[in-house]
Amino acid sequence: LSAFSLCPGAGQDVGRSCILVSIAGKNVMLDCGMHMGYNDDRRFPDFSYITQNGRLTDFLDCVIISHFHLDHCGALPYFSEMVGYDGPIYMTHPTKAICPILLEDYRKITVDKKGETNFFTSQMIKDCMKKVVAVHLHQTVQVDEELEIKAYYAGHVLGAAMFQIKVGCESVVYTGDYNMTPDRHLGAAWVDKCRPDLLITESTYATTIRDSKRCRERDFLKKVHETVERGGKVLIPVFALGRAQELCILLETFWERMNLKAPIYFSTGLTEKANHYYKLFITWTNQKIRKTFVQRNMFEFKHIKAFDRAFADNPGPMVVFATPGMLHAGQSLQIFRKWAGNEKNMVIMPGYCVQGTVGHKILSGQRKLEMEGRQILEVKMQVEYMSFSAHADAKGIMQLIRQAEPRNVLLVHGEAKKMEFLKQKIEQEFHVSCYMPANGETTTILTNPCIPVDISLGLLKRETAIGPVPDAKKPKLMHGTLLMKDNSFRLVCPEQALKELGLAEHQLRFTCRVHIQDPRKEHETVLRVYNHLKGVLKDYSVQHLPDGSITVESILIQATAHSEDQGTKVLLVSWTYQDEELGSYLTSLLKKGLPQSTA
Amino acid sequence: MTRECAALLPGVCAALADPRQPGLDDTCLEKLLDWFRSLTWFDPTVELVQDNPCLTELITSVLALPEPSPSILSFTLQLAGILASSENRFQHLQQEKLLGRLFGRAGPVGGALWEDPSVRSGWVKGVHSMVHHLPALHFLCSAGVMDVIFTLQGDPSLFVASAASQLLVHVLTFSVESETSKPLSTKDCDWPACAQMILKHIEESLQSSCASHIEHSLKLLTSLFGSCYAAWTEVLWLNIAKQIESFLMEETVQAQHMLANLLLNVARSPVFSDTEGSFWALVTSALEHLTPVQAGPLAVGLLRLCKCPQDVRIQALTVLLQPMDCILRAASQPLEYAGLLDESVTDPVTVESLLSSKTSCAGLLCQTLAHLEKLLSLKHLRVDLPCVSLLRSLITILQFCNGFLTPTSPLGSTISRNLINCFRVQKSALDVLAALSEKKGCDTLIRSLFDVLLAYLESPNTSPTVLKKAFQATSKWLACLQELSCSNSQCQQTEKILEDVFLVLQKRLCSPCWEVRDSSLEFLTAMIKCLRDQDGFRQSLLSSEVPRLAENLLEDPESYVRASAVTAVGHLAFITYLAAESPVAGNQYNKENTVAKLQEILSTDSEGFPRRAVISIFTKWLREGCTGQLEDTEQFVSRVIQTVEHDLDWEVRLGGLELVEVFCSKTICQLGLSECPYAPESSAVTSSTQQNLLQVFCRAKLFGFLFQSLCDCDKPVGQRACDVLIGLRGNFYPISTLENPQEIEDSPAGCGIAWLQRTLRQGSLAQNFPTDGGNGVDFQDPESMMVALGAIDLLELHDELNKSSDHVEESPQSLLQDILATVGTIEENEVDCY
Repeated sequence: LSAFSLCPGAGQDVGRSCILVSIAGKNVMLDCGMHMGYNDDRRFPDFSYITQNGRLTDFLDCVIISHFHLDHCGALPYFSEMVGYDGPIYMTHPTKAICPILLEDYRKITVDKKGETNFFTSQMIKDCMKKVVAVHLHQTVQVDEELEIKAYYAGHVLGAAMFQIKVGCESVVYTGDYNMTPDRHLGAAWVDKCRPDLLITESTYATTIRDSKRCRERDFLKKVHETVERGGKVLIPVFALGRAQELCILLETFWERMNLKAPIYFSTGLTEKANHYYKLFITWTNQKIRKTFVQRNMFEFKHIKAFDRAFADNPGPMVVFATPGMLHAGQSLQIFRKWAGNEKNMVIMPGYCVQGTVGHKILSGQRKLEMEGRQILEVKMQVEYMSFSAHADAKGIMQLIRQAEPRNVLLVHGEAKKMEFLKQKIEQEFHVSCYMPANGETTTILTNPCIPVDISLGLLKRETAIGPVPDAKKPKLMHGTLLMKDNSFRLVCPEQALKELGLAEHQLRFTCRVHIQDPRKEHETVLRVYNHLKGVLKDYSVQHLPDGSITVESILIQATAHSEDQGTKVLLVSWTYQDEELGSYLTSLLKKGLPQSTA
Repeated sequence: MTRECAALLPGVCAALADPRQPGLDDTCLEKLLDWFRSLTWFDPTVELVQDNPCLTELITSVLALPEPSPSILSFTLQLAGILASSENRFQHLQQEKLLGRLFGRAGPVGGALWEDPSVRSGWVKGVHSMVHHLPALHFLCSAGVMDVIFTLQGDPSLFVASAASQLLVHVLTFSVESETSKPLSTKDCDWPACAQMILKHIEESLQSSCASHIEHSLKLLTSLFGSCYAAWTEVLWLNIAKQIESFLMEETVQAQHMLANLLLNVARSPVFSDTEGSFWALVTSALEHLTPVQAGPLAVGLLRLCKCPQDVRIQALTVLLQPMDCILRAASQPLEYAGLLDESVTDPVTVESLLSSKTSCAGLLCQTLAHLEKLLSLKHLRVDLPCVSLLRSLITILQFCNGFLTPTSPLGSTISRNLINCFRVQKSALDVLAALSEKKGCDTLIRSLFDVLLAYLESPNTSPTVLKKAFQATSKWLACLQELSCSNSQCQQTEKILEDVFLVLQKRLCSPCWEVRDSSLEFLTAMIKCLRDQDGFRQSLLSSEVPRLAENLLEDPESYVRASAVTAVGHLAFITYLAAESPVAGNQYNKENTVAKLQEILSTDSEGFPRRAVISIFTKWLREGCTGQLEDTEQFVSRVIQTVEHDLDWEVRLGGLELVEVFCSKTICQLGLSECPYAPESSAVTSSTQQNLLQVFCRAKLFGFLFQSLCDCDKPVGQRACDVLIGLRGNFYPISTLENPQEIEDSPAGCGIAWLQRTLRQGSLAQNFPTDGGNGVDFQDPESMMVALGAIDLLELHDELNKSSDHVEESPQSLLQDILATVGTIEENEVDCY
């Protein structure tokens, strides 16, 4: 079993995921993420490392996507439509529905740039999604005759899943991103006690015991409320899906409770579809949402209305969600320009911003922005950063390991220093090996594969006939010949094996010389031996043959005088392989010498 | 380097060397290196390091840190390598005694941080950047660096190992090419020292018994022959050819799988283009000795070569056809078909046993089929493909896969058992089938081919991905069918086939699976595109339920399907009411009805795909002149513009501009004005035509849309609008006046236009183009618009829009400012993701 991460960059790299797992001869790619910080080749994983020989479609048995974030699925259309992977792709139903929205959203802001080539088109996103096989939670999906996969709830975003990959009795669990504490709209991650050979877990917050998400949410609401109260406008740049819906629920319930009147707008046309999916996949949300759903759908927003470009100039307070999330183009940037000069206003950045974007600049504290090399935009509005991402912290990671009881753990998606700490903790507490390979490094884990073998009825009957009565609880040792043919394994009796293979049986005989001190004539010695054996081996047929030799069942004993010392007789004992037990017993018996009494 | 950057650089360097600063985003460091690469690329002088002492200070202070972070150390190694890429700067760094401490034995090599792959990677990249002159090469040889590189070939990180291998190729090539003047012979003493070290290393590893050493050297040789075509590579090849040959023969060495790539790269090299000689004998032997799976890529590569002995080509083709031959023989009754091949290269038993094993059967077939598809796509294939037999074998495979054929021969029944329901093979076979449609001479098998295709289209067991491929193959072959059908009997056959296809399509259009509905609509569009001129096709289509079902799908819950339905219905219109002589009478296909439906989608659909599909279909209609007389068209365009100008999706707005552009050029043509602004025209005629033209455009409300789009918040829209306006202006103003736009006085009449001029002069930055139409600018007044076209400096605006086409600021100055600002913030923002 081996695993390696093929994101460019030689060290551990926070962010995107793309892991190749080889298990019992099957190759599975886990996630296919992109890096938004680059706009050249470096944004996609270097797929040429997967295989130097042959086509990707022939090499990979399947691709699995854990959830819809671009650092996990952003390179998928590139991989399937431009690099040329044409095999199966698996993800959960919500991920399949939502993933193309995000990809489309990102494509739109990417091709917006001048000279942007080597990027997938809308048609490619669609063609890619048509290749996706959607799976249900806990449904065992047979990829081929040997490889099966199963999804578990991960609680990171809507539709996020952990996947168990199993071939025979070898298995890997890949967590993707997950969250062990239920939040406002999602439940906690859960996995079977499936005891995989390897658990591949993310470790973004490996050393952090995070302050609760509730605190961050309270903080967010407080800031928005204060701004609106003093008549300011709040801009929240978001991507079409994910964080946006979560914050919508938050504001909606808060507005309801506080009976606030300031309008909340959503600027993008894409949200309608997004909201639709949150409604559609209500079973993937947490219990509370599902329970209240009967009375009121959490995603049927009363206070949040569609935004029109003209509204930005309206007087008075308002809250606007606008795309794109990094303030680098389109509506969010346009609104930002209008509102930036007023200190009463506020912009809240709820996610990561790439270097070079306005979002990145204001977050790093720059307040005088040069817009397109001409005008200076002075930012007087308040700038806030707030992380709402739902990852498991160190406690959560340990909890998951306890649940799954893996034999080995592999940490990915984190910083080396933080991971080192967690690794030690895991090894101490669970006494399992923990690995933290850098990107491009292969981790190989030895497993004890159990291989199912068919047993012939004849052999089974024969073996059960000779031993004690079979007991289902006690394993039983069986003897037979293992036939490996056409990828099947069968245990048959030796005769049958010989027959099937068209081979003749060879006789294997063991011989052993035993020296006995006996000055008598040879035939007398033989007689003594015969009498001795007859006395000891009462249940066996011991015969003295006319040629002077003795047989005990198939064992033959002959006596000769020693060539140099006439006082010593040499007994030649010979037996077949089948009578190995009796043969060695006899030799040891003879080695003890003959009893005096018979003399 | 600009003055601003030079001023910022010391601060950035100091921040980078400061161990107390929190880690920077990796991308910043990478982009910084990109910048230094661009600075040093064309400038070998020492000025960069002399004028910016902070750079060497940064290196010194990072080296002095007791425990630098791996990412900063890696950055420093790469930076030093980039700086040392010219001889002058190399000497400068040598004087400071930095290079030995970075790249020599005294450096990080073997130290605690060497454990970190990013440091090893930075080291390799640094050395690679440095080796562009002789002193660097001598430094490598003398500082014991070569041994480190040799070791790194087997690095646990694939990235480092691969970079090390690339580095060796670079060093070897550079050493031979810069240190020798006369042609090299096999005698060792001729080769430069550095090259000799590498050659010796290669030869030793090839002779070693260690599989991984052999593998490293084969990898190195593969990339060397793939990138360097100099004459000396032949000498190198002659040195190792014997060893390579022995790998082919000995089964004990597990290196065969790497030989195909190596031999292929050598074969591609012009050095070996001589078709005589031992090399090609080795290639022939490889085709014989490698397993069919290993030999496949070699064979297909050889067939793509321009220069390759014909007998090797034939042999390569034989290797590729062998599995297909085996399939044919296994499926046929004795003496029915002779198979595909007269003789085979390797023992047919090998292929037979691979095909009869469950695990290898699909793999071998998929690989072979992919290779055949590649061959079929080649423009000039220098061997003849037996297309008919190939088609027969494909049909057989497809029949095996869906259980339609259960042959009596033992091999046949094993293969059919292995292939049943195998999606991978089905997809690959259908791909080849589609590609084969372009070859002539397969007509005898047409009926059985369509039987198989229809079976796939009909079967509920066909997976959506396979179905899509089956549709693609069907539409390709239908196009061929139309070309063939001239005789009466063929005509009937074609009719029957079309009837069957539409029956299946009807069913598939109602599938519960959106992927299937979408593929069906795409198939319908593809068919209409290539067959719309065929009477038989039109009649079969219109007498089926397909058009009605397609129209129903305009209301599909899945937006992808709605978009495909829009495209299909748009194309259907070409054969119903938009056609010159419409074959349909009555109101079954009502034009107004369809246009209204599409308009409805354009204005109300919540998603971009269907709206984008509508606008592109409208443009297509307009381009093909199908929207009726000029006045109708005018109203139509005006309505569409008013719908799209408020669309939230910039690609829809962009589509609207494209529609406007087509409309303008159509109108100009129709009114008799030459499309070319430079064509000489008599001014009298032109002036009245211009008036007409302006009136048409104003009535269609083009100008409001165009001028407002100049301030669109999404750049591509502004750029396109500017292009359209510049094109339009050429029709109203002689070329000479274009360079000096008029200045508008703030007189009451020109007041609005002057405002427009001022607003637009601020470029797209204004971003506050009033939505109510502007300060008294009447966009529907022909006179005002004539003035506006002349007064606004569109060319300057065009430049401006092009310059600032990207909101992600990519200038080095901005990068330096960002780094400084980031290290200034105390709090580290938590990692987050989208």
